[in-house]
Amino acid sequence: MAQIEQSDKGGKKKKKGAQKKMAIHVDFTPMVDMNMLLITFFMLCTTMIKSQTLQIILPTNEKVEQEEQNKAKESEAITMIVSTERDENGEPKKDENGRYKNTVYFFAGQPMLVDENKDGILEDSNLEREVFLGNEGSTQRGIRKILHDRNKDVLKKIDELKVKWRNKEFSSNKDKNDSIYQAMAKEIRNDSTLTRPVVIIKATPEASWESLISALDEMNINQISRYQIDNINHTDSMMIEAFIRKHGK
Amino acid sequence: MGKVKPKRKSTLIDMTAMSDVTVLLLTFFMLTSTFLQKEPVTVITPSSVSEEKVPISNLAQVLVSPEGKVFISITGDADEANKDTWGSEAIRAEVVRKAVSKYNELHPNKKVQLSEADVEKFSKINMFGVPFEALPTFLRMSQLDQDKVISDMTRADVGIPINDNRDLNHPNEFQIWMQAIYSSGNENLQAAMKKGEGIAVKADAKTPYNTVHDVLDNLQTLKMNRFSLMTALKTEQD
Repeated sequence: MAQIEQSDKGGKKKKKGAQKKMAIHVDFTPMVDMNMLLITFFMLCTTMIKSQTLQIILPTNEKVEQEEQNKAKESEAITMIVSTERDENGEPKKDENGRYKNTVYFFAGQPMLVDENKDGILEDSNLEREVFLGNEGSTQRGIRKILHDRNKDVLKKIDELKVKWRNKEFSSNKDKNDSIYQAMAKEIRNDSTLTRPVVIIKATPEASWESLISALDEMNINQISRYQIDNINHTDSMMIEAFIRKHGK
Repeated sequence: MGKVKPKRKSTLIDMTAMSDVTVLLLTFFMLTSTFLQKEPVTVITPSSVSEEKVPISNLAQVLVSPEGKVFISITGDADEANKDTWGSEAIRAEVVRKAVSKYNELHPNKKVQLSEADVEKFSKINMFGVPFEALPTFLRMSQLDQDKVISDMTRADVGIPINDNRDLNHPNEFQIWMQAIYSSGNENLQAAMKKGEGIAVKADAKTPYNTVHDVLDNLQTLKMNRFSLMTALKTEQD
């Protein structure tokens, strides 16, 4: 497919010994075809985005003596129970935006149960319900607002720190600036002089994996350093049942 | 007046520029991308704001399908220089030998025999997940059949058996595998697993928590308390 055109025009007289001028045209169409195929192949068979990971540390399963467990202070504790609405086939229901309907039930401190006629069926408790919602502008919504309000002290200090970090006040070197910021943020998160919540995350059996990750993610977003994942107990499920009876789904 | 002769125009288009562009694109894709790993089920991971990336080397990844089937993939050191000792294939071969001998020790009546060829075949598989008993038959299948079997979630002999066993003297099959990976003699992998970067749990966003909880519980029993959960990057409006 490579043409060699001879550019000698008929009328001109050729000089003897002069080299023939040749324009070389190579047809690149097959080359382009092949490249396009390769590009398609690479686009289909590869991932550009690498998954992120969420680091997590769980306690061991070894039995710990009840006394040894450091109990969370009542005023600081908040229990979150995540759940997901599912249809009869066990598929999670979706809202109009195509997201799964994850809900969070939560209560502060100890569970407070109301059982007026003492029949073991709860009428009410201090359980409340919220949803996972992202920020709207700079205002927090949903469960994030509740956690944010409970961790105000820490978040305020970290916000101040963030401004300094953005202006590169710690160091002009980007990596150094980052690491100093990280270390200082960690110190604030673990500062016991501030009021910091302790969050206990529980999940109902039908809760989606996404709802648990969202709950863990809220801990990161709200800079909460003390949280744990626990198993749901009978009281918790009774409280949820009572809540649904009273307020509907 | 004579007829106007239509001028013959060459239809040749110069494709050189086009070719240049495509080659550039191709180079870009080749350099930036990593290949999709073959997985028995496609899972869509939930999203988080975490910015830590999944390591490409020294990783034991546990995949939980929405049906609750468990698969494991092992990746060793990506460094070409120590491919023979610490590469993915070398580790996988070591792991399968250790795991099978441990299984045979615990189940003297149901011994599993693997030939050298089987071990080599195993070391080429990225993600595995069949019970020990089905392992020899699975490894002797053709690759096409293997893919068919392992992606069929309705089969009983797919997925590593797992239960809520807490007694490490009688580990379940998942625990045997994880212990074998941990003690495969590869220091880098072991160190990564200790730090928590080396174990990644991957599950679909809509999988019930109960299903994943089994895996987390088993890891806790194995004292592998630190691990990472695979997530995707959260978008701005989330």
